[in-house]
Amino acid sequence: MSSIGVTITGGSDGGAVLIAVAGEIDLSNSEHVEQQIASFISNRTMHAVVDLTQVTYIDSIGMRVLFGLATSLQTAQIGLKLIAPIGSPARRLIEISGLDVIVDVEPG
Amino acid sequence: MSDLTQPRDATDRLRGIQSVTDAALAHLDVETLLLELLDRLKEILEVDTAAVLLLDRPSNSLVATAARGIEEEVVQGVRIPVGRGFAGRIAAEKRAVILDHVDHTTVMNPILRARGINSMLGVPLLSAGEVLGVLHVGTLRPREFTRADVELLQLVADRVALATQARLSETERSAALALQRSLLPGRLPLISGVEFGARYVPGAAEGVGGDWYDVFAMPSGALCVVMGDVVGRGLRAAVVMGRLRSTLRAYAMTTDDPAGILDLVDRKLQHFEPDEMATALLAVLDVNHDLMRISSAGHPPPVLARADGTVSMLDLPVDPPLGVRHGRARRTTDIELPPGSVLCLYTDGLVERRTIPLDDRLEQLESAVMVDNPENVCASVMRSLVGADAPADDIALLVLRIPDDGPGVPLDLTFTAVPASLAQIRAALRRWLRRVGAGDSAVHDVLVAVGEATSNAVEHAYGPAGGTIAVRVELDGADVLVEIADNGQWREPRGHGRGRGTLIMQMTTDEFRVERGASGTTVFVRRRLDR
Repeated sequence: MSSIGVTITGGSDGGAVLIAVAGEIDLSNSEHVEQQIASFISNRTMHAVVDLTQVTYIDSIGMRVLFGLATSLQTAQIGLKLIAPIGSPARRLIEISGLDVIVDVEPG
Repeated sequence: MSDLTQPRDATDRLRGIQSVTDAALAHLDVETLLLELLDRLKEILEVDTAAVLLLDRPSNSLVATAARGIEEEVVQGVRIPVGRGFAGRIAAEKRAVILDHVDHTTVMNPILRARGINSMLGVPLLSAGEVLGVLHVGTLRPREFTRADVELLQLVADRVALATQARLSETERSAALALQRSLLPGRLPLISGVEFGARYVPGAAEGVGGDWYDVFAMPSGALCVVMGDVVGRGLRAAVVMGRLRSTLRAYAMTTDDPAGILDLVDRKLQHFEPDEMATALLAVLDVNHDLMRISSAGHPPPVLARADGTVSMLDLPVDPPLGVRHGRARRTTDIELPPGSVLCLYTDGLVERRTIPLDDRLEQLESAVMVDNPENVCASVMRSLVGADAPADDIALLVLRIPDDGPGVPLDLTFTAVPASLAQIRAALRRWLRRVGAGDSAVHDVLVAVGEATSNAVEHAYGPAGGTIAVRVELDGADVLVEIADNGQWREPRGHGRGRGTLIMQMTTDEFRVERGASGTTVFVRRRLDR
């Protein structure tokens, strides 16, 4: 749904889940983003890939969602990979906040 | 009806009622007036009960509105479908009915049966041949109502109908106007520096109609501008307008595509109110890209004046009005809206005059629209097209101007401190930064730094009462300076991971400083634009 400036789509292929986020993530929609991403991941998921290529804005509120996701998936022993092209808004924030230290980040 | 057929005493009795209706009760509202009349009627006709039921058109049923003798039917909101029972039969057949025997086969209303009413007489309340309601009287003792009784009651009913009709129309007019006023945005929003002006004038001949306009920020930060016109007049049109306006706002939360929104509104209208029809223009303004996306549902085209002085009626594809069944997809057209443009939207009441060809009026409108502040444009359009002649139809006019302050002119914005404002702040900032030639990484960094400061103010500056955030953006050599001020009480961010915002602000700016004072918190941000 795109009601709040962001669209989240997802699909699974065996044990792998691919989730794509497009649009802006801020205080007004971060809970929605968090719930939507979680809704695509089950306890049968082996690996989750979150594609942030189409994210046009993200700040510490959005990073909180990603850090939270990284922590909970680590606990559940589910692999996580983020896709964020070099120079993209998401990549810049991931690097500033050090999320790339604990999660695999690929340019695409 | 002739007085010659009246017995002498009936004429005398009628005179009593007449004096009461015409003078002393002139200032009373409908209910009080009816009660006064029923009191008189009970006395003059020597009956035990008298009641007025008014027709509720949407449900085609009679609603007990005033009663003397057996007041329960009003208090309990008795409803009698037209065509059924005693009162329903009077309304359906538009003639007097006499009952000399009350039971469940003749009277639907159990209250009358329970109270032991024996004989009844009722007549329709007619206004211009249309049934407005029913007036009936009843007695506990068996009574044979005479022809004279029927004629007297009908005379009273005619007066009641006249007075009721006049007062209902007045009430309806006031209600419609109040509804209209409550729905037109009194204060237009301050968004991305776009300026607005608007006028609404109710029609002189037919009163308030279903014209409306609306301006609001969408979740994406884009600006939604609406002009619409519900077919019909009066309270009913105003009520449908109110529903359409809310529906449209709701669907504007789900998509940014004008044709998509209108299509959903159309489906909702056809499903729930298949008898209603409306025309509408819906425009979504993306000021960052000097672009307007617009879709027309049978509505007259807007006038666009560009900064270079050219004025034209927009040549848009026009799709069917809302509420009209059609199998085609609605269309959205992209219109370039360069800085300084003035856009003028209106309803047909502005341009339609029975005596003047429409093309002449449209030309007149084009020449009245100029590149100026929206208030002046509204004044010019109303002066030229309305002048001193009260319009027959209602008129809505909305004028907006895209700012053209030149790149680098300081930007001052004030927003409500709510999460939904954040996208609007970004939209305004993006546009400003692009216009001073900022590159992608500078734009992203400034947006993030300002986003951190403004989110923080939204989350922490105010209690539940809320407040505002002021953002000032200016150029200082090769740097952009942004000041984000709230006038709330500083509170340290709560929750896990909130310290990350400070780190992000440091990393995305060349200088960042927070001043906390008794009157609020101000965050200063400086960022070079050329890297």
